[in-house]
Amino acid sequence: MTPEPKSGSLGEKKKATNSTFLRVARFMSFRVIMLFITIVIGVYATIMIANMGGYVDDIMRNNIKETVNLRVAAMTANTQTSTETRKQMAEEMIALEEKRLGLDTPFMVRSFRYLSNALQLNLGRALHMVSDNGSRQVKNIILERLPATLLLMGTSQLFLFFFSVFIALALSRSYGSFWDKLVITLSPTSAAPPWFYGIFFILIFAAVFKVLPFGGMVVSPPPDNTWDYILSVLKHLILPAGSLIISSLFISIYNWRTFFLIYSSEDYVDMAKAKGLPSRDIERRYILRPTLPTIITNFALLVIGLWTGATITETVFLWPGLGRTLFRAIGFYDTPVIVGSTIIYAYLLAFTVFFLDFIYALVDPRVKIGGGK
Amino acid sequence: MKKNKFMLFMGLVIVASMVLAACQPVAAPTEVVVEPTAETPVEAPTAAPTEVVAPTVEPTPEVVRTTRKGGWLDEIVFSVVDSASVITQLQAGAIDIYADSLSSKDLTAIKDSGLSYSTASGLYYDMMFNPAVFSDGRLNPFNNRKIREAMNWIVDRDYINQEVFAGGGLAKFFAITTQFPDYADLADVARKLESYYAYDLEKGRAAVATEMEAMGATLVDGKWNFNGAPVTLVFIIRSDSDGTRIPMGDYFASQLEAIGFTVDRQYKTGGEASPIWIGSEPTDGLWNVYTAAWSATVLDRDQSNIFQEMYLDSSAQGIPLFLQNVSDPEFKDLGDKLAQATFKTVEERHDMMARALELSLQDSLQVFLIDGKSYIPYQNNVIATADLAAGVQGAQIWPFTLRFKDEEGGTLNWATQELFGDPYNPIAGSNWAFDQGAIRATQSGDYMYDPYTGLLWPLRLESADVVVQEGLPVGKTLDWVNLEFAPEIKVPADAWADWDAATQTFIPAGEGVTALRKTTVYYPADLFETVKWHNGSNLSMADIVMGMIMTFDRAKEASAVYDEQAVPGFEPFMENFKGMQIVSTDPLTIDYYTNLYSLDAELNIPIFFPTYTFGEGSWDMIAISNLAEAGGELAYSIDKAGTAEIEQTSWVGGPSLEILAKYLDQAIAESVIPYAPTLGQYLTAEEAVARYDATKAWYAEHGHFMIGTGPYFIDKAFLTEKSLTLKNFADYPDLADRWASYGEPKLATVELDGPGQVKIGDEATFDVYITFKDMPYPTAEIKQVKFLLYNAKNEIVSVSEAVAVEDGLYSIVLDAATTALLEAGSNKLEVAVVPLTVSQPTFQAIEFVTAP
Repeated sequence: MTPEPKSGSLGEKKKATNSTFLRVARFMSFRVIMLFITIVIGVYATIMIANMGGYVDDIMRNNIKETVNLRVAAMTANTQTSTETRKQMAEEMIALEEKRLGLDTPFMVRSFRYLSNALQLNLGRALHMVSDNGSRQVKNIILERLPATLLLMGTSQLFLFFFSVFIALALSRSYGSFWDKLVITLSPTSAAPPWFYGIFFILIFAAVFKVLPFGGMVVSPPPDNTWDYILSVLKHLILPAGSLIISSLFISIYNWRTFFLIYSSEDYVDMAKAKGLPSRDIERRYILRPTLPTIITNFALLVIGLWTGATITETVFLWPGLGRTLFRAIGFYDTPVIVGSTIIYAYLLAFTVFFLDFIYALVDPRVKIGGGK
Repeated sequence: MKKNKFMLFMGLVIVASMVLAACQPVAAPTEVVVEPTAETPVEAPTAAPTEVVAPTVEPTPEVVRTTRKGGWLDEIVFSVVDSASVITQLQAGAIDIYADSLSSKDLTAIKDSGLSYSTASGLYYDMMFNPAVFSDGRLNPFNNRKIREAMNWIVDRDYINQEVFAGGGLAKFFAITTQFPDYADLADVARKLESYYAYDLEKGRAAVATEMEAMGATLVDGKWNFNGAPVTLVFIIRSDSDGTRIPMGDYFASQLEAIGFTVDRQYKTGGEASPIWIGSEPTDGLWNVYTAAWSATVLDRDQSNIFQEMYLDSSAQGIPLFLQNVSDPEFKDLGDKLAQATFKTVEERHDMMARALELSLQDSLQVFLIDGKSYIPYQNNVIATADLAAGVQGAQIWPFTLRFKDEEGGTLNWATQELFGDPYNPIAGSNWAFDQGAIRATQSGDYMYDPYTGLLWPLRLESADVVVQEGLPVGKTLDWVNLEFAPEIKVPADAWADWDAATQTFIPAGEGVTALRKTTVYYPADLFETVKWHNGSNLSMADIVMGMIMTFDRAKEASAVYDEQAVPGFEPFMENFKGMQIVSTDPLTIDYYTNLYSLDAELNIPIFFPTYTFGEGSWDMIAISNLAEAGGELAYSIDKAGTAEIEQTSWVGGPSLEILAKYLDQAIAESVIPYAPTLGQYLTAEEAVARYDATKAWYAEHGHFMIGTGPYFIDKAFLTEKSLTLKNFADYPDLADRWASYGEPKLATVELDGPGQVKIGDEATFDVYITFKDMPYPTAEIKQVKFLLYNAKNEIVSVSEAVAVEDGLYSIVLDAATTALLEAGSNKLEVAVVPLTVSQPTFQAIEFVTAP
């Protein structure tokens, strides 16, 4: 038997490396293309839906006519202005407004322009909405609301996530205990949405006990001192964040606890218990580790979910977040704002999905990138 | 087990606290504005209108005057609240007033809460009909005027008012607004028609049946059929707005079904409905009826054009359904003539309006139902003045009257639904009512809109002469305006009639130009010493002349700040404008010539004070903003900003501030005199720099450029936090109590007294007691007291006028001939009292029995 030449071994290694590189590169390229196509389809669908396939043009035209007629009536009140003059004023004002809103360009042309700009992250200018500081740049409208949304959603969702996972792990070890039963009993309370709790919280803590504010993000007028400002923001954060947390807390714990229970009853966990391993080690090495991809996926989706805000809760508490902004944009048919918000979410989602594949491979040795076959 | 009990206990505590929160004690309601009762009718004016004396800077004898200048309050803090929590927040003391009004659905809650409230015009509602003949051959009953007219009988407006509007609206039959001067002037005619068109389902059913049968329809099993198919009415019912249109629409649909129509109720939002009722071709028959609503945000004293606007094919609204309406030729002619002011005297106009009211109900392209109201709630220790049309935040007067009862100073928390809706700039900035509410407090102006009559009082002006061409129907009510008529009004050849943007000079009128009206305005001699901008600078001639220039410059293509958005309003202005001339600068006196006129002399006053459309502006701020616009970095209007993809000018915050600050520094460095060929005559380089320096210092201290001359200034604005703080301007020239008499509208309280039984053919005398807050209403402040006499069948027998006896007392004498017209039974006498100080009549009625 002749030993195989060393060079062959090196070649094979090199070949294997090249093969891995090609496999990963092919996988990445395919993934990027697929995600990009998905984004294009998703964003264009959003444009079409937001504009009802172009029908919104008709709505806007008629709204303009109605609004301009009222404006002309108010402008010419108490003066003997002739009918022809009023008609002419109205016609010119309507033409200007239609031009401003781009209604002088066919919708299909505009729809592809929206798509092209969005894909290049050229968010453009809002049609109707304006940022708090008076800018019509969609970028400014979104960025201005982002900190408030991240603060509210970040505080509530991160607390909710980590607290739920932590409690659920503990409960999975004490299955059938009083606390386990309590969580199960209280989990239906999550059927009520956050704003429902919000209304009651406002009623109890703002109207009756008068210890917390009704809404807003800071007291009016805002304190000059930075620390007082921060304290005021925190005080205003308690009720909306509390509503978001309370409304999902028990169901979230219940879900994780059930999830962990499945893994807790695996044979290898029983074996570890039988071997007398400390429960902390069992949790970390035998339960958490195999569940890590799921936890990471949930966490990643939670983080990008922060971007969407909580529309109704933000409205109830007058919290200046992105959820309210998007809601108003839909009401105004403000396509650039809707598309702007969507494209950023779409890109964030795509990046997350893309990188999650790699993270799975890192945390779980059973996963092989591009090795599906 | 213990834990379970503990959990149960905690749960009960939470539930109990929720219940307690919902069961807070309520005080008795306090109503500030008393609505006129929708009772019954009247004709003939009493004494001729008497002139009313203007509020002056002189003390009112019986009132101890304040030494405070500017507004009554030290500070007003603006914040944004959710309208759903307004009542709760007011009850909790978190806010003092909610300046954006609440709708009728909240009226009961406001009353139950015991809070005070004022009212303002809300939307006014009607059923609008498609008048076209459908091209597909389907029968459209509303093509028939008689059927549309019959719709008035099948709808019970009082029922709608009680059921949908909690009794807070006013039954409405006409396009003219029930609380505006025209209605007061035509109260007798209106009441007569309202009586004729009162709810009578059977009468409506019979009228419809006659016409439907004439059109070839047949009633089969209680349903109208045409060509073998049911006559189905497509009814577009708005499902959004303030929520009142669904119950109104459902009620009207039920009434239509009750008289035999099949109704296809289609509930749609405004966005879904407008392409149908506005955008579709009426002959396509996509709809038959629509729950329309309109708004009247200005107290319009002359609604002559409303018939053309709301009924005729010549309507300026340009909506296809109006073009399809074939009106009665007399109505069409009358409506067009009224819109074109083809009348010579006020009396002739009155008669034309009276006839148009009648014909409008016969046309009934729209069947008006309710004049809605909106409600502005506030704490019981707050005094707030509300404009009859525009409420509190829309009233120019609010900054001058808003205060705490029996207290000077203090901080008031003003809540609104939103703030900073658009950038603030006085040329084409935010026109949102909530923003203008704040901006209004920072400005002064030539005159003050009377919130109860819509007439003008002098604010910074001293007096005015109005000369109109003979034959024009212009009258006057107030004593500060002098009205004269002239056979011809010549415009001086050197009067400024236009603007040359290239040379930056005014163009003279030239020889031989005449105008229909000339107005001369007189300012006080100390105008430029007493009136100060918030940054400490004195008002100057340059501020006045800059305002004149800006009237023209933005609409001129040769201008560096040309904006096509300015053109649609400028062209009609120039069609009528004939010239202006500064007669004197000390004291400031200016002549103004135009072909445009209003029926009230008090409304024929031009604005020369630097009050632009959306706020005040000093010449220096206009100059800096113009530099930024000419530099392509900012634009006043959203249109130009959008086209150029730059930011819209904002003086209150945002990215504009840095740009404006940069141009301010440039103006200081270069000692810029804007429009130097013209403004250079009124301004030196040193004066210019001094003004720029004052503005720079202001910006450094307050962080914004909103500088006015009003009773309050913006101390700080927090755009993201949606908060704004106004502070009292101690250098304001007037004392805080100058407008104190406008705390609330002087609505007349009327009582009728007379015999309970009258013998037919005998004379009978009734007394009319008119009071305000239990004090006799001065006869000099009452325009007219009319009465209508109804017989036992509710038919009007006589319309005439009451006779003034003394202040607060009028007498009605029914002579023998008049009572002889009555039959045995229960009759009714109704009076309509129309004050001069508030354009809202008060109605009161008394019943008496007649026997042979």
